[in-house]
Amino acid sequence: MKKALLLLLSLVLVLSMAVGCSNSEPTTTTESSQTSESKEEPKVEPQYGGTVTFAYTQPFKGVLMRAYYAGEDDDLILNFMHEGFLTTGDDLKTYPYIAEYEQSADHKVFTFKIKQGVKWHNGDELTVEDWKYALEVIAHPDYDGSRYSNVEMIVGVDEYHAGTADSISGIKVIDPYTIEITVKEAQVNTLDNLWSYPEPSKYLEGIAVKDLASHPKVRQNPIGIGPFKVKKIQPGEFVEFERFDDYWQGKPYLDGVIYKIIDADLSNGLLENGEVDIIQIPSSQYQEIKKLTNINLFEEAALAYSYLGFDFGRYDAEKEEVVMDNPKFQNKQLRQAMAYALDRQGLIDAFSNGLGTIIDTPMPVVSWAKAPDSELTHYDYNPEKAKQLLDEAGYKDVDGDGLREDPQGKKFTVSLLAMSGSEIAEPRAQAILQMWKEVGLNAELNGGTLKEFNLFYDLVQNDDPTVEVFMGAWGLASDPDPSGLWRKADSWNFPRWYTEESDRLIKEGVGEKAFDENYRKQVYVDWQKIVNDELPMIYLWSPIDVYAANKRVNNVDANSFTIQKDVHLWWVTQ
Amino acid sequence: MLTYTLRRIAVMIPIMILLSMVVFSLAKMMPGDALSGRIDPTNSSPEYISAMKEKLGYNDPVHIQYLRWMNDILHGDFGNSFIHKMPVSQLIGLRVYNTLFLTLLALFFTYIFAFIMGMYAGKHPYTLGDNMIATYNYLGFALPSFFAGLMAIYLFALKLQWVPASGSIGTGVDVNTIAFYVSKLKHTILPALVLGMLSTAGYTQFLRNDIIESSRKDYVRTARAKGTSESIIYNKHILRNSIIPIVTFLGFDIGGLLGGAVITETIFTYPGIGSLFIDSLTNRDYSVVMTITMMLSIMTLIGNLIADLLYGVVDPRIRLD
Repeated sequence: MKKALLLLLSLVLVLSMAVGCSNSEPTTTTESSQTSESKEEPKVEPQYGGTVTFAYTQPFKGVLMRAYYAGEDDDLILNFMHEGFLTTGDDLKTYPYIAEYEQSADHKVFTFKIKQGVKWHNGDELTVEDWKYALEVIAHPDYDGSRYSNVEMIVGVDEYHAGTADSISGIKVIDPYTIEITVKEAQVNTLDNLWSYPEPSKYLEGIAVKDLASHPKVRQNPIGIGPFKVKKIQPGEFVEFERFDDYWQGKPYLDGVIYKIIDADLSNGLLENGEVDIIQIPSSQYQEIKKLTNINLFEEAALAYSYLGFDFGRYDAEKEEVVMDNPKFQNKQLRQAMAYALDRQGLIDAFSNGLGTIIDTPMPVVSWAKAPDSELTHYDYNPEKAKQLLDEAGYKDVDGDGLREDPQGKKFTVSLLAMSGSEIAEPRAQAILQMWKEVGLNAELNGGTLKEFNLFYDLVQNDDPTVEVFMGAWGLASDPDPSGLWRKADSWNFPRWYTEESDRLIKEGVGEKAFDENYRKQVYVDWQKIVNDELPMIYLWSPIDVYAANKRVNNVDANSFTIQKDVHLWWVTQ
Repeated sequence: MLTYTLRRIAVMIPIMILLSMVVFSLAKMMPGDALSGRIDPTNSSPEYISAMKEKLGYNDPVHIQYLRWMNDILHGDFGNSFIHKMPVSQLIGLRVYNTLFLTLLALFFTYIFAFIMGMYAGKHPYTLGDNMIATYNYLGFALPSFFAGLMAIYLFALKLQWVPASGSIGTGVDVNTIAFYVSKLKHTILPALVLGMLSTAGYTQFLRNDIIESSRKDYVRTARAKGTSESIIYNKHILRNSIIPIVTFLGFDIGGLLGGAVITETIFTYPGIGSLFIDSLTNRDYSVVMTITMMLSIMTLIGNLIADLLYGVVDPRIRLD
């Protein structure tokens, strides 16, 4: 450490001298002015070499194929070794990366041209056949991963999936670097949903689709086109990567990366003594880790949010639609009052070390489609307003026991269903109940206790009659399209709420006119205004992800979904 | 002895069938399944989940599922792990050596320390040394292993940096070199010590009490009267008799060899059967959970059998017919 500091100091010294030199002598030759110019940049030249340890706190499964992996544990590994043809920017839009594309006027035919000379780790050249192969794997009848929805839009996939066609008619290879993909209908978010990861078709040749996920070529010796190649996999413990010299964006600076699994409780200590360089830290250790002097912290609002959902009814599985037949929370003023009664910032500060951003609409904070704050109602903590709304809605205390009765004068209770899992889950749920009690609502925990994750979703999904208000969380996709969770037909629409207008706007958002981005944004703003006002769920907060990186690692940057940006540019001060 | 063994094994069969029913129904009674964790609009869809449930047979009647499972097991097929996407037997095979190494090392520590402390305390009861050992024993009983594990990591791995904090093997070592075995030992010694030292308490107390009791027996008095030296009396006459109750423990230890380290393995992120078990439970990876539970039950049955047989070996007064 000292040595590195010394080196840095002397470098800075040399630089400042060079700059000083050139300034004091206005009549310098072109040669010396050139050298001083190149050195004038305040940042130190990147150095080659060194290894970085990237840690994660859950054991990884080692399903190292994009088409099959399921969890973040394997996703992080794949981010080092493999890349897709398209990429998602910090603003959550999809951009060309290895592939450039053109689309036909009717937005149904996409022509992709990929870069030439991109190499797989085994030396094979990347061609569009590798992409075709990946799409065929996912569309295959034997495929048991979860990505079918990412190829479903291609023409001819249904026949291939059913086994009645030998190939997918919507995929046409024009030459090794050009491919044409035809989709069934024009949708503005086709490219956001289309599967864009190639798989090494030559390397995996001859392996049956049903054996792929457990094959040694996927589990022990996976290859990709990313900046680092897998050197050794110790199942569940670590993955050693080494530099891939033929990486298409140039040789990475680091010699290698070690991806290591650690116990979450040790994050602080391991960061401090330098055994771990980069990690997404558990929020419970935020205060201690913040005090460390050898790390930089990156705080980003995550693509997720927590909410308190109201139960409006049930999902009719036969008709495949939501039925809003539970009268209890149909009163909008009641729902809004319950939102005003909550001190959300107080909850974040007390139970999450302040690591949360309050939201009033189910849209990522960083999304381009998020409605401006001026268009939304903010349910800031205001118990007086809550009481007033409850009074107006007819929820008054008629029998004088300090608790409100419903408009018919009957006892009114609110039962909160919350998940167990962390040490703060119970006190946080109790705090929410307390806040509701303070405005006169008789709130209690569903069944008197927290529910374990699986039980929680069992109850919510099967519309258990005891479910009234439930505290859940959703991950958010980079594309703002809310379908899947909010429409009348969605079985994951857990509040079981919809309106015709909301459904219409969701459809409109991916409709024909939505190819105009301004129009599309306006549609989503209108939709957000509805769900913000109707409040079928109380939006709580987006958690803030905190990444810690040792100061010796340079060029590290995080966005709302990853810290593994341009890992080939990471370099360490030695 | 042979007939006794055979009889015991015959009795084990209905027990195992009963066990398998209990294990299966308990596993199925857990809310949720391996697909509950997939409720995530960014990575899957309701259609995928219902299609997979059908494919995995979760929608069949319970008794059909049970019979299918039993049939597969009798054919040596323990099913596939849905989460890990590989056969359960392969998955367990990857981990079983780690766990065996850890628990055997822990057992080694347990016995060494228990014998030293137990014999000392039994020989010098109610002295300062005995009291200190007793204090240690109470601590050993009282300290939860996750706490002891974290303390040990903090002290020996993070502050003193003698050993690594987690994992079972270091990076950058090749298999079957000396460095490989050194690294393996370095990674295993701390969890093994924590595991071993905590369970020392029971053995020590047993041994101590038995030695004190034996030392008041007539045959010891006779030996003393004949002028036999104290060390021979303790190490030969008394110890042999006092080992007998310890044998009971040994049976349990064999049963616990594979599963006894659930918490310790999790804390040390040591990839053994224990951490796999916990992981599979939270993910509702049925096939893994059921296989491990069955395996542990059978190991316990066998451990008990071995303990009973060992009685006959160490204590000639016990006849097994």
